[in-house]
Amino acid sequence: MLFSRPNKYYTCTVEQCNDLVAHKNVLLEVSVKAKDIMEQVKDHLSPDDTIRDAVNKMRVVKRDDGIVGVKGMIVLDREGNLVGMVSVKDILKAIIPFYMTMTELGEFTWEGMLSEMTKKVADKKVEEIMVKDVITVPEDAPLMECADFIVKHNLQRVPVVDREKRVVGIIYVRDLYNAIVKVLLNDKEVENI
Amino acid sequence: MTQVTQEAAAASQPFVMDTVFWTATTIFVLAYAVIVSEKVHKTVVALFGAALMLVLKILEQYEAFHVEELGVDWNVIFLLIGMMTIINLMRPTGFFEYIAIKSAKAGKGDPMRIMTIFALVTAVLSALLDNVTTVLLLAPVTLLIADALEVDPVPFLIVEALASNIGGTATLIGDPPNIMIASKAKLDFMDFIYNLTPVVIVLMVVLLVVVKIVFGKKLKTREELKERIMQMNEKEAIKDPLMLKKSLFVLGLVLVGFVFHGTLHLQPATVALFGAGLLLLLSGTHDPHHYLAEVEWPTIFFFIGLFILVGGVVKVGLIKLMSMKMLDLTQGNLFATSMIVMWFSAIASAIVDNIPYVATMNPLIIDMAKQMWPQEAGLALLRHPDLMPVWWSLALGACLGGNGSPIGASANVIVVGMAERAGKKISFMRFVAYGFPIMLLTVFISMIYVWLRYYVLRF
Repeated sequence: MLFSRPNKYYTCTVEQCNDLVAHKNVLLEVSVKAKDIMEQVKDHLSPDDTIRDAVNKMRVVKRDDGIVGVKGMIVLDREGNLVGMVSVKDILKAIIPFYMTMTELGEFTWEGMLSEMTKKVADKKVEEIMVKDVITVPEDAPLMECADFIVKHNLQRVPVVDREKRVVGIIYVRDLYNAIVKVLLNDKEVENI
Repeated sequence: MTQVTQEAAAASQPFVMDTVFWTATTIFVLAYAVIVSEKVHKTVVALFGAALMLVLKILEQYEAFHVEELGVDWNVIFLLIGMMTIINLMRPTGFFEYIAIKSAKAGKGDPMRIMTIFALVTAVLSALLDNVTTVLLLAPVTLLIADALEVDPVPFLIVEALASNIGGTATLIGDPPNIMIASKAKLDFMDFIYNLTPVVIVLMVVLLVVVKIVFGKKLKTREELKERIMQMNEKEAIKDPLMLKKSLFVLGLVLVGFVFHGTLHLQPATVALFGAGLLLLLSGTHDPHHYLAEVEWPTIFFFIGLFILVGGVVKVGLIKLMSMKMLDLTQGNLFATSMIVMWFSAIASAIVDNIPYVATMNPLIIDMAKQMWPQEAGLALLRHPDLMPVWWSLALGACLGGNGSPIGASANVIVVGMAERAGKKISFMRFVAYGFPIMLLTVFISMIYVWLRYYVLRF
């Protein structure tokens, strides 16, 4: 729920806030920033982790909504700098041999090829498969900017960074979608759904 | 000095080592040095060097664009563009994957047989299309087959690169040096078939024997893994049967066109462009951008830049100076010239890109011919019976020399890159260990061939 997040922070005046309460379907989205809807970073990968380690960490981490398991994680170096991002798709890409993506060879596989290839890459380092050019948003970025980035770059999640470029949270597609739902329907209706 | 003596002096001293001469020579030498160093992309170097030649008025733009002896050889450019377009249209049909899977099945899943068949297929496709495309399309399937059979893909890839360079030597369109030589020396497709294909067939047989001796016992797999290959259905590779039929029709037409282009008085570039135009039309595409964009433009512009660079040094007389030095060295003995050209070309092509090398050698040989037969001109000079073995030696040396090192030919660079991406790094020396002896052996056999055919048996 948008309004029940512990880290929520609104830059609205008292009058505006009163307004908000009075007309719940009129959300002053202009004043809501990335940091207001982002989720906390629960865990991260390090570049030296193997794919096996990554899969394990991503499997057990608990999301804000209580669900266990995430489909992507940020990669931080020892100093805590963001150096990459790994998603389920990156892991799949690492398992599919590059020659299959180069040309149309999808029909020419054999029984057990996926598990064979998975075992082959299990010890590959995260830094070899991670996306290195990570797109981030500043913590005070308006939601439209976040939405634009996510759609433009076909992302599932985007790290939120502070002025020192340190990751302070992550915005997921679902967080933005929730914000949209909030605008279109009032809380009561949302609760009814 | 009277006018007559001035003319005589000009004839004996066909160039002046003035500022223009040294400027052109410096640009040329520096450009080639930077190309060899690989510090800057070769296309960038060639284009910038060419632009300098033009800006400094060493070569006039008119000469660069419209004078055959000095400027861009549009035969080469449009032959390459035409063939690349045909291949770009053909590629999505799945034809190459079909051939590769079919070949692997023909080898019944046996690694040694597959390596032999792949080498043959690579050689034939390289002779009819181009080496880079052939290797680029066959290497991914090779890696798949090697994974399926749980064998090391490296020997397969190296043998394919070697076969591609040998196969490409066989025809006018097989390898860029041949395209360039054919255009400069006015040789037609059948000249190459008569003169180079026989020796290439011998070289391929030798390669396969060597491969059998070297890898025969090492390449083994389990029976159940062979089944993986046998269960593949090559027909599934065909993505667009109608377009495949159209492509094969046009490719067939183009090959027939090449065979008869001499008789029909059509340049090879005309044949290739006709094929490209016809296939684009038959494809019914409304978006030719995609197919045209995939033409290897950096290669095309590399050629354009090189032609202008070489044109500059031809104009100022550097190439003439070099040809005079070569004549001094060989004392006009054409057998010695052939042998020197062949071996020097082979070694040079193993170390540097054979395209700039041949771009320089072509005018050099023509200049040499002009000095040897001053009374001849035009076709009589270019196709002088005594000059022909020199052209063939240049083609054999430049093409086969490519096998000498991993950077000797584009096909080698591609297989090395592919192997690395597959996690199987081919070190410089590992390639040399296979490639250099094969280069020496094939050039040696070619040397015997040239000697026997053109200097002993004379047919």
